[in-house]
Parts: sequence; structure tokens; C-alpha cells
Amino acid sequence: MGRERSEVNDIDRSLYDFRYEEKEEDFYKVKEGLTEDIVREISVEKNDPEWMLEFRLKSLSVYNELKVPDWGPDISGLNMDDIVTYVKPRTKMKTAWEDVPDDIKNTFERLGIPEAERKSLAGVGAQYDSELVYHNVKEEVLAQGVVYTDMESALTGEYEEMVKEHFMKLVPPTDHKFAALHGAVWSGGSFVYVPPGVKVEIPLQSYFRLNAAGAGQFEHTLIIVSEGADLHFIEGCSAPKYNVANLHAGCVELFVGKNAKLRYSTIENWSKNMYNLNTKRAICEEGATMEWVSGSFGSHVSYLYPMTVLKGNDSHCEFTGITFAGEGQNLDTGAKVVQTGRRTSSYINTKSISKSGGISTFRSAVTIGSKAEDSKAAVSCASLMLDDISRSDTIPAMDIRTNEADVGHEAKIGRISDDAVFYLMSRGISEEDARAMIVSGFADNVSKELPLEYAVEMNNLIQLEMKGAIG
Amino acid sequence: MRVNRLHSPTWNALKINEAVIEERIVLNDSGKATVEKIPAGVMIGNESCRECGGCELKDQVDIKSITCGMGNEADVFFADASKDVLMIHTRPGRKAAEPVNVRYLMENGDSNADRVEILAEEGSSLTVIMDYSSSRLDASGFFGIQTRIRVGAGASVHLVKVNLLGSGFLSMDDIGVTVEDNGFFDITQMCLGGGRNLIGMAADLKGYKAQFNGDMAYLCIGSQDLDMNYHISHHGRKTGSELQVKGALRDAAKKNFRGTIDLVKGAKGAHGNELEDVLLLSEGVVNKTLPVILCDEDDVEGTHGASIGRLSSDMLYYMQTRGFSKGEAELLATKAKLNSVRNLIKDDNTHGRIQYFIEEAFK
Repeated sequence: MGRERSEVNDIDRSLYDFRYEEKEEDFYKVKEGLTEDIVREISVEKNDPEWMLEFRLKSLSVYNELKVPDWGPDISGLNMDDIVTYVKPRTKMKTAWEDVPDDIKNTFERLGIPEAERKSLAGVGAQYDSELVYHNVKEEVLAQGVVYTDMESALTGEYEEMVKEHFMKLVPPTDHKFAALHGAVWSGGSFVYVPPGVKVEIPLQSYFRLNAAGAGQFEHTLIIVSEGADLHFIEGCSAPKYNVANLHAGCVELFVGKNAKLRYSTIENWSKNMYNLNTKRAICEEGATMEWVSGSFGSHVSYLYPMTVLKGNDSHCEFTGITFAGEGQNLDTGAKVVQTGRRTSSYINTKSISKSGGISTFRSAVTIGSKAEDSKAAVSCASLMLDDISRSDTIPAMDIRTNEADVGHEAKIGRISDDAVFYLMSRGISEEDARAMIVSGFADNVSKELPLEYAVEMNNLIQLEMKGAIG
Repeated sequence: MRVNRLHSPTWNALKINEAVIEERIVLNDSGKATVEKIPAGVMIGNESCRECGGCELKDQVDIKSITCGMGNEADVFFADASKDVLMIHTRPGRKAAEPVNVRYLMENGDSNADRVEILAEEGSSLTVIMDYSSSRLDASGFFGIQTRIRVGAGASVHLVKVNLLGSGFLSMDDIGVTVEDNGFFDITQMCLGGGRNLIGMAADLKGYKAQFNGDMAYLCIGSQDLDMNYHISHHGRKTGSELQVKGALRDAAKKNFRGTIDLVKGAKGAHGNELEDVLLLSEGVVNKTLPVILCDEDDVEGTHGASIGRLSSDMLYYMQTRGFSKGEAELLATKAKLNSVRNLIKDDNTHGRIQYFIEEAFK
């Protein structure tokens, strides 16, 4: 006799797959592929200073030398000769939604961005393909001295030296092939500077929408949180589905000053034709705190491992993440921590769900250096398999080089516990409801870390519809 | 020679995906095995037995296809280096009351590679104790051994491996085992000697309810370097595995541990668990740990845990209230870890040698 099996629906992507028909004349774009001419063309288009052009060309050279990673999911379906690296809507960045062209504005309306801005955000940046089309920040935040602008304005304006000092210093182009690609063709993204002691009470948000078929998005986010400051930054991203490969190779660099705190929340919901090869990295000075909250739901293939360098003594980081891999998805996600300061501490806590043939891999690395005395690290990962055609792996590495550290690790992979279902049923709950409650509870530790509207979005993404089926 | 490569590699920058033996190994055919005891019900033979046909050992041919943990390059090395094979065989239903003791005495300058095949036929049981030692603690040389084991249906094999080699030895210990229906394979390993030690083990739980248990203890001091790769594949339904690894690192010692529980599609009802407990005793140690679970089946349970670092503050406080210094408390904790595995070895002679080695190491 078949065993009753719970069914968890696929993520409802209709909201994200929506798009308006676009005309070629609405956009300027470079040719497909990656050549020096294309890199120069992007640089001219973006009005780069000379040093940035040199940086791009060096990055291209590094890209051509480095090999594709040989340890992760297969990305042979990604052919750079078919990718358009720069697509610019024929509109300038606006500071009022009514000035944004209707089709673009309506796309963001449907995604709920203007409404979220009105209700609960201190500032919003909205990127459409390769360029920001909207950027605004509340007056009271500006009055605190907070800078929140697009990267191009920062690069060519009064913050050029600050950008030059920090740009791709945490993630050098030599880090890996797709970091080098980013260095060569980056476009868009946000620049945030929070002055010493300033606490930004409500979050800033950047939303990245990749709308063009066969295109790449390479936005760069650079955030500097000064000594004693506090910021919550939210990043959202989505794309409609096409039959050709799209590529996202963004880069996030976060500098968290002495005794400062930064929370970086992401709901990643790319379409299932997307190769998401994103790089995120933070460095913490003395007493600083870095918090990552990450939800990975979309993309065809993901390589995503936010990394934190706990350089300063007494610095701390937490990573909370959830990954949901459905049909046709191979999501390789996790986190990295490098602890070199004394009395540093880190906690990585992740959940993953695999269903309908999806592959979810948790990958992590905790490195504790020889000088990181009295440091602590804990890693906890749990994976839930919802059927027997999916796959879930955990690959956590630890490299410990001091005897004055405490490192703990625990991992568990399995299906919904029959005992837990039995317990709930013995309290009068139906089996279907019991299974739904268990899966909801499994994801609960992540959703409660998200801002309310994002928690709602995540719960909508994991729409749980439990029904009896023969397993 | 590249050995101990992970089935599911991770970032190359971590330098944990494989181990490389750069030394050119020159063998001088010294340090041969001595089988000290042959209990009733156990047959011992060698490669020529396959041709002889005079006893059941001729049938022991399918063991050669068993995959070992170190990988293909080690396979080629052992096939070239050791033309002969020591064969240990129990007939169906025979339960050996005493262990088979296989001893390798490796003196300074010795360099030898050997192969061993163990076949426990259906319903039989057998304990094999293999110890590799040197009479001088500072002896140098090379010692390699490749051991293949087939545990038949309902059979039980307890394999004990003890490394008490001199501190200048490079050693390779390559193991492959398959376990049939309701079979049980139990391995107890202690790696105390040698300079650079590499251990690879692949266990394939092929049969229904096949079971694996592993207890491994190590002590790495001075400049000792230990590299381990355990891969336990669950193919059979309701198979189970438990792997416990515990040890201590001191001075400038290095250790890599890779442990993979591979829950293969179709292994319904299987469960695998691995635990590592490492005590770090000096500033200059390097400890790398990679406990992997690969899961291609939903009706399974895989867990792993690791605890790495110093003696817990509660334990240290307790010991200090009893008058022990921090150093004495760490020494006691280390000996307790090692002795908990030593006590699984039911052989007084081997116990004595291990005890002597531990005492010498802490002088």
C-alpha cells in the first residue's frame, strides 16, 4: 500500500513572469558576447573615469585567464557569447515614480515596490536591466547625512575617491571567474554611506529587475557603515522567464565599521532560466555586527555564498538562510566566514527544501585563523526532502588554526518526521494540516527574521497546499 | 600521486578536496606480514592459492573489484607495488573465537606495500587485528597497505588497525569493504605513530540491513600530518552506519578529515550518522574537517556533528576543582579519548603496545 505523501506546490511565479511587450527602440544594448570593444563601449556609455576603464580591462584579462569552477553545479548551458552584458532603458534615473515610463513603472507597481516605499522604507533604488530607473530617499534620512545613491552618480560625483578606495577591494577580480566578469562589465547598483553614529531607523531597499531576454545583470552594491552606525538594507530581485539563459553576476561589498551594525536581507526570486553567480562579502571591524538574512527561491543554477570576514576583535556575524529548490533548479547556496580577530563569533543557520527533482546543496566554510583566540563558531543546517526524485547535499568545511576556539557543527537531512505528524494528529489535527504546519515551522526561523512584507512574500512563495497522494 | 579525492569537492582554495603524495616511493620489499595467530575456522593463503585449487581460497576472486577509499591512483600503485595478496577467509557459518593477528614490524629504512583480502562468508564471524609498528620511535620509511573486505550475508567482521610506526614513516592505509544482507562490518582504528599518514576507506552497504560501525582515534603531535577520507555508501534498504572519529592535535600537527555519508537512491529506510570530536592542544595546529552528507532518497536520515576546539570550560573547571592544572586536565582528556577506542580492541598484547606508545608520546 502506498504511503500518504504531502504535496507542496511549486512557487507561484505568475507575478514575476509578468512583463510588458517591449520595443527594440526603447532600449540601447551592446552586442552579445564579451570582447574588449564591448567593455570599452560600456565604459564610454557610463562615462567612467579613466581608472575605471583600466580596471575593467584588467578584469577582462583576468576573466580570460581563469577557469570555470570545477566543484559546483554544471553551468555548461551558460554561453557568454550569447549574453548581452549591457541593456539600458532609454530613460534617465528619476526621483518620482510618475516620471518613470509607464511600462517600467507598472512592472514595479505589480511587484509592490512603490507601495512598500510609501509604507515602510527610508529609500528605494529600482534597477531595470543594467541601469537604475528610480532612486529616492526620505528627507529625514538625508538630513542625517546618509548617502544613498546609484553607483554611477557616486563614481562620477563627490564620492569618487570613496568608491575608488573600496570598489572590488573585498571581492577582487582575481577571486573567481565571475568576479572578474563583474569587474569588466558591471553596471548599476547602489552606493550607501552611513556616517558615524547614525542609526537609520527604517530600511533602505534596492530592487533589481532583469527584463531583457538573454541579458546579464551585473549591479554593484557598495555599503559603508561607519563607526557606531546602524543600517538595515534590503535587496530584492526577480525576472520573467525566457527560453534562453540569463545571467546574474552581481557583487555586494559591505564595510562594517567599529561597533557598527548592518543587516542585509535578500529575497532572491530570479526566473528558472537564470544563472545566478552572485558574490557577496562583508568585512567587520572591532565590535561590529553583520547579519545576513537570505531567501533563495528562483534561478536555474545558483552559486551563492555570502562571506563575512571578522577582522576586528569582538566582531560577530549571523547568517540565516532558506533555499527552496523545485523542478529544474540546482541551487548551491550557503555561507563563508573567516575569523581573524580575537573573541569573534559566528553562527550559520540554514534550512533547505527540495522537491520535484530540485537539487539543493548547502555549502559552507568556517575558517578560524591562528590569532583568533577565544573565538566561537557554530553551523547548523537542516534539509527537508519532499519526494524521492529530488536531491539534497550538505558540504560544510571547517579550517581551524588555533587551540583557543570552540567550533560546533550539526546537520540533518531527512523527510517529514512520521512521529511529529503522529503527535499532531493525536491532538486532533488532520494529517494534511499537520504536514503543512511542520513545513511552515521548518521555514519559520527565516521568515521571522525578515521584514513583515518580505515574510509575507516568502510565505506566498512557499504556498503550501497539502493533499493526500500516493507516494 | 593524488589520493583521497572527495566525491563532491568544494572550494579548491580550502585545499581539502584531495591529498597529494609528492615523494617518490622506492620499495625495498622489507617488513613483511607476520600472522601470529590462526584461529580455528580461518584459512590463510596468498595469491598462489587462486591457481592451486586445493581449497576454497581459489574462489576469492570477486574481492578485487571492491572500490577502496584512496582512489584510482592508489589502486594502480598497490597493484604495481604488491604482486602478492594475503588472503584471510572464513567458511560459511564458522565463527572464529580468537582474532587473527597480522603484524608488520617496520624498521628504520624499511619500505613495503602489501595487499590483504578478507572474505567472511555467509553467517561467519571474524576479528582481524592488523598492527604496524616500529621498534624505534624515530624510525623512518614507507608502509602501504590496501585491505579489501567482503562481508557476506549475515556475517560479521571486526577489523582492527593500529598504527604505531616510527615518527619518520610515510604510511598509506587504503580500505574497501562491501557488506551483504544483514552483514555487519565494524572497524576500530588507532593512528598514533608515523610522520605522514593517509587513510582512505570506502564502505558499500549493498545488502538489506547491512550495518557499518567505525571508531577512529588519533593523536597527532610534533609535525605529524594525518589525512583521512571515509566514504560510506548506502545502497541497500534499511542500512545503517555510525562513524565516530576522535582525537587530539598538539604542537605543529595537521589533520584533514573527510567523512561522507552517501544515501543513494533506493536506500529506503537507511540512516547514517557521523561525529567528530577534536581536541586542539597547541597554537600551531591545523585542523580541517569536512563532514558531507549526500542524499538522493527521501526516506532516509543522515546526520553529522562536529565539535572542535579546546577542553570545554565546564570540564576544565571540574578538573581544576579537583586539583589538576590545565595541562594535566588536557592530558587526561586526551588519554580518555584514545582509551575509549583502545578499549574496543579485545587483545591484551595490542593494548599493551598502544599504552606504551601513548605514554612515550606524552613524556
